Order: sequence, then structure tokens, then C-alpha cells
Amino acid sequence: MNDRPKLSVIVPFFNEEESIRPLYVAIVNAVEPLGVSFEMVFVDDGSSDATVRIATELAAADPRVRVVEFRRNYGQTPAMAAGIEHASGEILITMDGDLQNDPTDIRLFLDKMAEGYDIVVGWRFNRQDKLVSRKIPSRIANRLIGKVTGVPINDNGCSLKAYRASLIKEIPLYSEMHRFIPAMASIAGPRIAEIKVKHHARQFGKSKYGLSRIYKVLLDLLVIKTVASFTSRPLIWFVLLSLPMVAVGTATLGWSLYVMIADHQNLPLPVAGTGLIFLSSALILVSGGAFGELVYKTSDMREHHFARLTARLERWHSSDT
Amino acid sequence: MLQKELPVELSVIIPVGDRHADARALFADYEEGLDKLAMRYEVIFVLDGPQADFAAGLQPLARERRNMTILTLTRSFGEATALMAAFEQASGELVLTLPAYFQIRGSEIPKLVDALQSADVAVARRWPRAGGHLEQLRRDAFHGFIAWITGLRFRDLGCGARALRRRVLEEISLYGDQHRFLALLADRQGFRVKEVDVAQSALDRFTGHYRTREYAHRVLDIFTVFFLVRFTKKPLRFFGMVGVTTFGIGALLLLYLVIDRLGFGHGLADRPALLLSSLLVVLGLQLFALGLLGELIIFTHAKSIKDYQVKDVIQFTRAQRAGNPENEAVTP
Repeated sequence: MNDRPKLSVIVPFFNEEESIRPLYVAIVNAVEPLGVSFEMVFVDDGSSDATVRIATELAAADPRVRVVEFRRNYGQTPAMAAGIEHASGEILITMDGDLQNDPTDIRLFLDKMAEGYDIVVGWRFNRQDKLVSRKIPSRIANRLIGKVTGVPINDNGCSLKAYRASLIKEIPLYSEMHRFIPAMASIAGPRIAEIKVKHHARQFGKSKYGLSRIYKVLLDLLVIKTVASFTSRPLIWFVLLSLPMVAVGTATLGWSLYVMIADHQNLPLPVAGTGLIFLSSALILVSGGAFGELVYKTSDMREHHFARLTARLERWHSSDT
Repeated sequence: MLQKELPVELSVIIPVGDRHADARALFADYEEGLDKLAMRYEVIFVLDGPQADFAAGLQPLARERRNMTILTLTRSFGEATALMAAFEQASGELVLTLPAYFQIRGSEIPKLVDALQSADVAVARRWPRAGGHLEQLRRDAFHGFIAWITGLRFRDLGCGARALRRRVLEEISLYGDQHRFLALLADRQGFRVKEVDVAQSALDRFTGHYRTREYAHRVLDIFTVFFLVRFTKKPLRFFGMVGVTTFGIGALLLLYLVIDRLGFGHGLADRPALLLSSLLVVLGLQLFALGLLGELIIFTHAKSIKDYQVKDVIQFTRAQRAGNPENEAVTP
């Protein structure tokens, strides 16, 4: 396609043979009246049912449909990442392939994006899922994610989100970070808005992705937090980490020396040893920080890589409005 | 390469390491099976280091045939490197690797190649297998361990006979001794891998000469797989787990010592256990920091390390020609 569509709707599918056609119809019905040029990127996450066949039929009938077919099942984050990579629109909207999101909400997202936001996040205000197994864990997780990342969003797990393509295409997405895309993107300092969206109960099939492996989520969260806070300055981050060690090490070593000199006793070896261990460990940490600095400098990300993303957007807005 | 009128369909790669059989007898056996295939094939021998005796036996064979290439590496680089070097010379759409010593019967080759009709990689499993119970037990332990780490059950990773599609080797880079794990790595890249039972060669016997060395190699192999699979994409998951465990043990021990000091008045300063606990705490922190550094490396290279492999991008043009789906290259 030579002309770039305004909007790309990205939908990952994993064994959703019943949902894909109704969803396609719903998207077309919802977006066509808006009068914007759009395309649909359907990512097949290694489905074993007829999803690919149906998607290919849709693509054959409608040139606005692009199907990205995975070789096997990789999970939701890679599916989103692939969709983002293969989308060519200026605004990217991601949504679930199970009909739980409502395509009629797309209009609200476009309006919000037009107000100048870089990321608009859906909030399943009236969520149609099981309370104990899905809603309560997710509420706790969201609270935690908001606290840790500093991006207070009520519903990180909602797939219905809109991004400015120029921003999101530059954000590395891997592991299971689809939950944290706004948090991940926050290293670039975007303007994030949240709007309430409709949420339907599942019509077909079973829920594929649960909040089952909490420890993975926690570790990913930690990674994002550290990576986001130390991306440009790993050395400082590691130095801060080593400060408590220096304190403990100096105190214990100092005390053992004091005992030896002031009380004319033998050096209390275990205490002195502990002090040495902590001090040398602090030294290794600082070296690790220097190493991190090296890694960062040799990578293709420069220091203002992320800062530039939103800075460019700022100009784009002022000329646009 | 010789210029031929008709393209080669199958490239047979035979890496020749220190362990090898007599070239003439070996190739006669393989040729019997290859000729049954009714495919145009070429044979590439890679000498991993100058294997003088094998090369001497090979020269007359190569002179008699037009479809044989001999590639000699100046020193021994390992079988996987040899395979990749040979692959650069290969022009067939299908690639068959064969060991340079008797493992499978040459007449079984068609089975392997036929298996590619429904798979991207077909690895041979020598079955029924000669050898004692102890050997069988050792093999089972090795493969069970690999299965536990990777979740993939293979039963004869040591067999050098594998048939694969060209694009598998285009996407996977192997080096050193990773040839054993070709099936595992291919599966991780999303290729369909199949295990095919083939008859073991009557000449395939375990010599039992370098037993301890062999064991050491297997253990190292398991480490290799572990790191390739577990570590390369999510370093913090691995280091974090080990680090937190170490830190936790150390912290508990420290807590006990402190309680013992405060509550029961046992001295803290002269207890060597204090050293142990602080060592564990510090070690845990270091491991964790190492995981973070690994994560930083992944983060900064996430754009070039892909988590996924795209099979096809399907889009039809506006003119709605029901043409072929465009194939998009996966790696930039």
C-alpha cells in the first residue's frame, strides 16, 4: 500500500475461529462511518483451528485486512509486538480477539488521541469476568503496577488501547510486557489518558490468557521499573544500590577496628570479615554499573532516544492543531 | 561448485571429525540409500581439521563423481561449525546431514527424507538399539534431563542423521558442539520437528574408550541447553530466582543470629556463621544485579532480538487478484 492509513486496528488471535468473522464485521461497521482510512492487522498466534483459514478468506475479500501468521504459538506480547511492527497506520489500536472489547469504542479513542494524547488506555469499567479468579487479582496487580511504575492506570490488562505509531514502534516489547505497555512506554514520557470502555462477557471459546503466573508479572514489573529508571544512567543506579552496602561494610569494619585499637583486644574476625565482604560487594556492584554503562553506550539506543520520541510529537501537535 | 544444468534437490552434508569410518565403505553404504531417493543430490564432505586418512580415501571417490565437494577446515572447529560452513556451499532445497561413521543403515535414508513432507526437520532415532542396559540408562537419563529443562522429548540427540529444509539452517546459527541440539533449537524457532525411527547400523558400536570425557561433555551439553533455553531471553527470571533464594537463606540465618544475640545473649561478633550469612546475602544481591545487567542487554537489543517468527504475511492487493500471499522476510 502506498498511502498510509490513518488508523490500524491490531487484533491478536489464538484459536478464535468463531470470533474472528463477527469481530471483523463489528470493526468495519464501527470504523467505516467515522470516515478515516484504516486497515486491520490480524495476528494469528499459532492457532491450531480454522482461524488462519478464515482470516485469509477475509483478507482475500477485503484488501484492508493484513494477516500476520506466526509459525507457532508465542503468546500475547509477541503477537502484539508483531502487529505493531506490521501495522502502517499513524494511530494503532490494539484489541482482544475474543469479542470482549467493543469496536464501537474506537471512536472514543480517536477523539481522545485528537486531543493530543500519545497513549489512550481502555478501562473495563464494568468488567464481565469472574470476580475471584480474574477481577480481584487484577485489581491488586493494577494497584501495584501503578505504584511501582508511577503510571496510575486502573486497568493495565485491558487490551483495548490506542498508541501513536511513531512512539510505540520504538518501545521494546518482549517477555510478557503486553500488560505493561503504557508503563514501558512511560520511559519516553508520553501523555497518557484513560477512558471507560464497554466489556462483554465471552461468547465463544475459553479464556486463553490468565493472570496465572504472578511471579513472572512481578519480575517483569521489576525489570520495567529498573530499566525505566536506569536506562540512561545504569552507573548511578548501581551506585545507589551499593550505598547501603558501603554503610554496613564501613560500620562493621570500623567497629571491629575500634574494638581492636581501643580495647586492646584481638580483631573480631567474623565482624571484620563481614565488613570486608560488604565493601567488596559494593565495589563489584559499582563495577557492574560501569559495565551497564558500557552496554548502554554500545547499544543502538542513544541517551535521548526516548526523550526525542515525545519531543518530536510535541511539535507535531502544535503544527497539527 | 560445479555448474549443473538441473538444480540440486538434496544436499548431503557429511562432517568428518576425529571419529570417522573408512571413507569408501561408508559412502558406499550411504550411496545405496541416496540412489533409492530418485532425487538429484550433491554430497559435501567437510573435513573438520585435516583428517588425512579419510581425505586420502575420499579423493578417488570425488574424482569418480561430479556431485561431490570436499571442504577442508584448517583446524577442528567443532561439528556444528563444520555443518554451517558446508551449508554455505549447499544448493539443495533439502539438506541431509549424515555422520562420518556408521550410525544408521544407508538404506534407511529415504525414510528420513520422506518425513520432510510433513515436517521441517526430521531427526533419526536409532531403533531398535544395540547396547547394554547401563548404556540405555545413561541415554535415558541424559534425554530425560534435557526434556525436563526444555520440555521437549527427544530420544536420540546423538544421532548425526538429520534431514531438514533449507530455511531451517538459514535461520538457526549453530556453533561449537550445538549440532546435537539442532532439533531443540529448530523447535524453539517454531519449525515442525519429527523423530523418525531408523535401523541402527550393524557397525555402530560404542567403543567405551573415553568414557569419563564423554560424561563430562554430556554434562556441559546440558548446561549449554539450559542457558540457550532458559537464560538468553529472560536473564532476570533465572538469576533473580537463584539470587533471591541465596539472599533469603542468608537473611534467615542472619535473622536467627540477631535473635540469638538479642534474646539469648549469645555473642554475635565471634561467630563464623555471621560470615556465612553475610556472604550469602551479598552473593544473592550480586546474582540479582547480574540478572539486571542481562536484562539491560536484552532491553537495549530488543529491537534486533525477535521473540517470534512470522511464517507468512497475507494481504491481497486492492485489485483483488487471488495471487500468492506475499512472503515477508522475517529478519531485517
